[in-house]
Order: sequence, then C-alpha cells, then structure tokens
Amino acid sequence: MNEALPSVAVATVLLALGLWMMLPRGTTTWRGVGALTTLAALCIFAWLSSHLDPSEEAWLGDAVFFTLAGVTVIAAVCTVTFSNPGYSAIWFGLSLLGTAGLFLFQGAQFLGVATIVVYAGAILVTFLFVLMLAQPKGESAYDRLSWGAGLAALSGAVVVGILVLSILGIFQNPDVASRPRAPFELPELKTEILADQHVAHLGAQLFSKYLVAVEVAGTLLLVALVGAVAIAERIKKPDRGGQSHG
Amino acid sequence: MSIDWQSLMVPLIVPVVKIAVLLFALMTAAAYLVLLERWIAAWVQDRLGPNRVGIPLTKIKMFGLGQPLADGLKFIFKEEYTPAHVDKALYILAPVVILSAALAIFAVIPFGDVLPIEVPGVEGPIAMVEAPGVDVGMIYVFAMSSIAVYGVILGGWASNNKYSFLGGLRSSAQLIAYEIPLGLGILGVVLAAGSLRLEEIINGQAASGQWNAFSQPLGLMVFLIASFAEAARLPFDLPECEQELIGGYHTEYAGMKLLLFLIAEFLHMVVAAFLIVILFFGGWHFWGMEVGPDVTVTWPMAIVRIAVLLAKVMAVIVFFMLVRWSWPRFRFDQLMNLAWKVMLPLGIVNLIAVACVVEFAHVRELEGGVASPWIAVGVGWVVALVAWFLAGRYAPLHTDNRPRLEVLRAPDFEPETALARQREAALR
Repeated sequence: MNEALPSVAVATVLLALGLWMMLPRGTTTWRGVGALTTLAALCIFAWLSSHLDPSEEAWLGDAVFFTLAGVTVIAAVCTVTFSNPGYSAIWFGLSLLGTAGLFLFQGAQFLGVATIVVYAGAILVTFLFVLMLAQPKGESAYDRLSWGAGLAALSGAVVVGILVLSILGIFQNPDVASRPRAPFELPELKTEILADQHVAHLGAQLFSKYLVAVEVAGTLLLVALVGAVAIAERIKKPDRGGQSHG
Repeated sequence: MSIDWQSLMVPLIVPVVKIAVLLFALMTAAAYLVLLERWIAAWVQDRLGPNRVGIPLTKIKMFGLGQPLADGLKFIFKEEYTPAHVDKALYILAPVVILSAALAIFAVIPFGDVLPIEVPGVEGPIAMVEAPGVDVGMIYVFAMSSIAVYGVILGGWASNNKYSFLGGLRSSAQLIAYEIPLGLGILGVVLAAGSLRLEEIINGQAASGQWNAFSQPLGLMVFLIASFAEAARLPFDLPECEQELIGGYHTEYAGMKLLLFLIAEFLHMVVAAFLIVILFFGGWHFWGMEVGPDVTVTWPMAIVRIAVLLAKVMAVIVFFMLVRWSWPRFRFDQLMNLAWKVMLPLGIVNLIAVACVVEFAHVRELEGGVASPWIAVGVGWVVALVAWFLAGRYAPLHTDNRPRLEVLRAPDFEPETALARQREAALR
C-alpha cells in the first residue's frame, strides 16, 4: 500500500458527507457545515493531484489552472446542491465556462469554444427554456427536494475518489515513490493537433482516423431527430380551420 | 523563484492598451450611434430630431452633438429602482452578463489590418485585434453571442413579470432558431476561405479582389436576415416590442441597469455590421489598394485600411437603422416560419453550391489548371436567383395576413365548428 490511499479514502468520505449535508433535503441546518466539509475534501484532492507537477517555475500556470478548476468544481457542487432549478442551471453554466477555460488553457481552442457553443449556447438555454415553461407560477415543493440524497452523494464521491486514484496512477503502479514525476507524456498525435492551424488538423483527424465514430454519432443524432419529429407529429392532429399558415 | 517581470510585462502592455482604446471607442460609439439613430428616424419621419443640446452652460448648439452626454447623465442620475418581487441576484446578474458577453465578442474582431509600431518584446507590426491568432475566431464570436442570450433569459425570468417573461421566452426561441441560418451563412464563407480566422477571411478576399458578397449573394441574404434577428433589430424585435410587451425582458429595469441592456443591444448591432463587412464585403480591402503577404504596411496605408473598414461598417449600420423605419414587425409565427422553412433551406442550398465550387477549384488545381474566379460568381448568382425564385414561389405564405380563402370556402367549413375543433385539439 502507499501513503496516498488513506488520504483519498478520507477525502472521499468527507466529500460524501459534505455533499449529503448540502443537498436540498428539506432542511438547511447543516448546509454551512456541509460546505466546509466539501471544501476540505476538495482541498485534499487538489493537494494530492498538485503533486503531479511540483516544478516551481510553472507557478503562474498552476495558479491559472487551479483557479479555473476551482471555479469549475465549486460551480458543479453548487449545481447539484441548490434547490432552485433556475440557480442550478446558472451554476451549471458557470461550470461549463470553467471547463471551456480549462480546455483553452491546454491549447485546445476548438474544444473550449465548442463547449460553450454546444453546451452553454444550446443545451443549457433549452434547459432554462423548459424550466421557465414548467414553472411559471413558482416552484413546487417536491421539485425542490433531493430524492435519495445519501446514495447520490455517496456514489458521486466514490466516483471522484476512484478517478483521483487512477489519475495518481495507483492502479498501474502502487508505489508512489518510484512513479515518474511527469506521468503525462504528450503523445505525438496531440502535439500535432495543438500546432498552428489547430482546427484544420483537428478536422483532418476527425474525418480520417475517427471517421466511423463521427458518422455513427451523426447517425445517432439523425435518429433522435427523426424520433422527435415522429412524436411531435403524432400529438399534433391536422386542423383545417386553425391558425396554421404552414 | 525569480520571475523576469520585464519580459512578462511588455507583452502585457499591448493588449491592455488595445482593450482600453477599444472600450473607450465602443462606449462612445454606442452613445453617438443612438444620436445617429434618432437623426435618421427624424429624417425618415420628416421631423427635425435632436438638435438642441450643445456645449453645456453656453448657447452653442452644435447640431445636438451634446445629446449623448445629456442622455448618459440622465441615466446615471435616474433612481435605480429594484422592484420587491424580483429575484435579486439574477436581476443584477442579467445586465452584467449581456454587456460583458457583447464586449467579449470584440476580442477577435479586427478593426483594420496592422499598425506599423515597433514594440520591444513583440514580434512584427501590431495587429488591430485584441486577441490576434485565435484559430477559432468565428466560432468564438458564435459562442459569445450565445452567452448573451443568458442576459435576456435571466432578465426576463428574474423580473417576475409576465411581460418580461414572455419577452425572455420569445427571445430565447428566436435566437436559437436564427442561430442556424446564421451559422449556415458563415459556413459558406469559411468554406471558401478555408479558415475560421477573421483576418484570414479578409486576406482571402483581398488577395482575389473578389468579395464574398459577389460570389455568395444567397449566403449574404441569409446571413443579413439572420443577423437582424440575432441583434433583435426592428423587423425581428419581438423580444421587446413596445406595443405588445411594454419593454419585453427589460420592462422592470431602470437607470444604469437598463442602460447596460441598451448598450449591449447596440453593440450586438455593431458586431453584426462588423461581421457582415468582414465576411462579405472584404473587410479593409478596396480595389486599387496594395495587397499581398509581402507588402509592408506603412502608416498611411494602415490608416486608409482602418478608414475603409470603418466606413463600410458605418454604411451597414445606417442600413440597419433605415430598415428599422421601413419594415413593420413580424408576427411570431411568421418569424419562426421564415427561420425554419425559408432561411434554413436557402442557407443549405448556398452551402452546397459553395462546396461544389470549392471542390471544382480543388480538382482543377490537382489537374494543374486554375479555375476562373468568375465561375464562383456565376454559380453563386444563378443559384441565388433560382433559389430565391423557388422560395418565393413555393415557400409557405409566412407574411400573408389575409384569411385563407380555401379554408373559409370549403363546403363543410363553419366558423363555430372550426373553433370547437381547435379547442378540442388544444385540450387533447
């Protein structure tokens, strides 16, 4: 065993506990304590993963990274713990902006901007649209409660813990001390995409090496579109005297 | 842990100066564009318009050039009233979001070509863009304008007012719908230029001397109409139409917060004008100018380029303002029909035509020949005319307000049964 495992376990338990206290369960008594506990757990995780790159010259980049990552993670926690769905959606938007910032910080311009266009610009706006349509008269109590809060918090925290463990490389190499300092060697492919003419390289990769995946994804979306049209058509009966100009 | 502050600071100064100049110019421009809009409105409606306010405390009138200052002061000194029934955090957040998104768009928009200034620590001449070399410039513009939707939606939702709410709903539906024709119009240009960088798109048009407006007239039409809708200018100003919704999503706003919304709207129009000029009218290019990658830009050349670009942008803005007083507002179903049943197919037709032309040129290049640039122009105009004719002939009558005679004259038609059927359908 190694020294990272107990800290990951402690942080996971803390995270589960904190999330459980923060989730909307009909009482707000423990929210402050929950926030502190969650923050402590997140700090432990951050401290563990900051061991990945201990070089001191990169402190400015580290500062930017941890600011962006902090915004992303805290906004994500707020997304699940706010009882007002409108606020949850806004926090989700902030989390997406943080993710896009992380992508930009790594030089993946297209991914960063596409995250904003697709998720923040289209999907989340649709969420807000539905939220506005669904509750014009205020919120119902049963919508503002978290169902199965304990299990939800626990499973979320366990997933985060396992992810951190795998990022630390413990599954491959249990001995932390002998682990190489920089575990992420940039593969050739990635540097090629990140070069100048970034979008052109990305497009070339997508439409040559990953062509099948792109086509399958496109077909899936087309099927969803056809399904949506079919469902909408079944509901809408033709009315001859109606207002439709179509 | 020693940091070379000097090498860190010098490259920082250039963007900071650029941002400061740009912010100042944009805010002033927005104020004076309001004055211009009022002058044009007065001219169209045969009035005098604002012509009194000049230098304060004197009798000098200066054609009313002091009006924006007076307007600004009035906004600042207005009572900042926050109604008790609003969701306060989101109510304050909404104008901030919309203005910062509108300003952030300008980070990738070139205001000219380059300035021949030598700055130690910075390579080459200074590009007239806040963020030069962003490889995804066009998508970035798209992303930031989709963030601006949040300001509208949040303003409408947080105001807790039915008029605001309807305005927010309308605007989110409208902006999502028109993003698609807007994107299709952009895609044609991007395909022809082979790059998402706005600077590259201008350079491509300057090199061939052939603006995209000539080779892609259909794309220009689609993009122009979609950008009117995205900027919520008059034929499409459903989100805030005064006669129906008081003020739409900013009904409950007053003072500086309202001003932030209004400035953001004006900035959206300015962005739309810049994009139209850059994508379709050659940016800073005009025939007779020296162009090419090996031409060193001198000061007079740089200034002429900036002047040409801004003159074109100004012309487009005046066009926007004239359209405002020339066209009545659409109804909402007409707006949606226009987006999905006319603009979307036209945009796809344009994209396919451009793709064919580009592929043809590519094949010619592989064979060793050169495709004449006039082929693109010819194909573009033929496709545009045919598609426009077909759309006008066969598209649904989205602008027709007359009663549908074939429905009224149908043998089994009775108004009461039709109403009952409608009600039944609604209940189902």
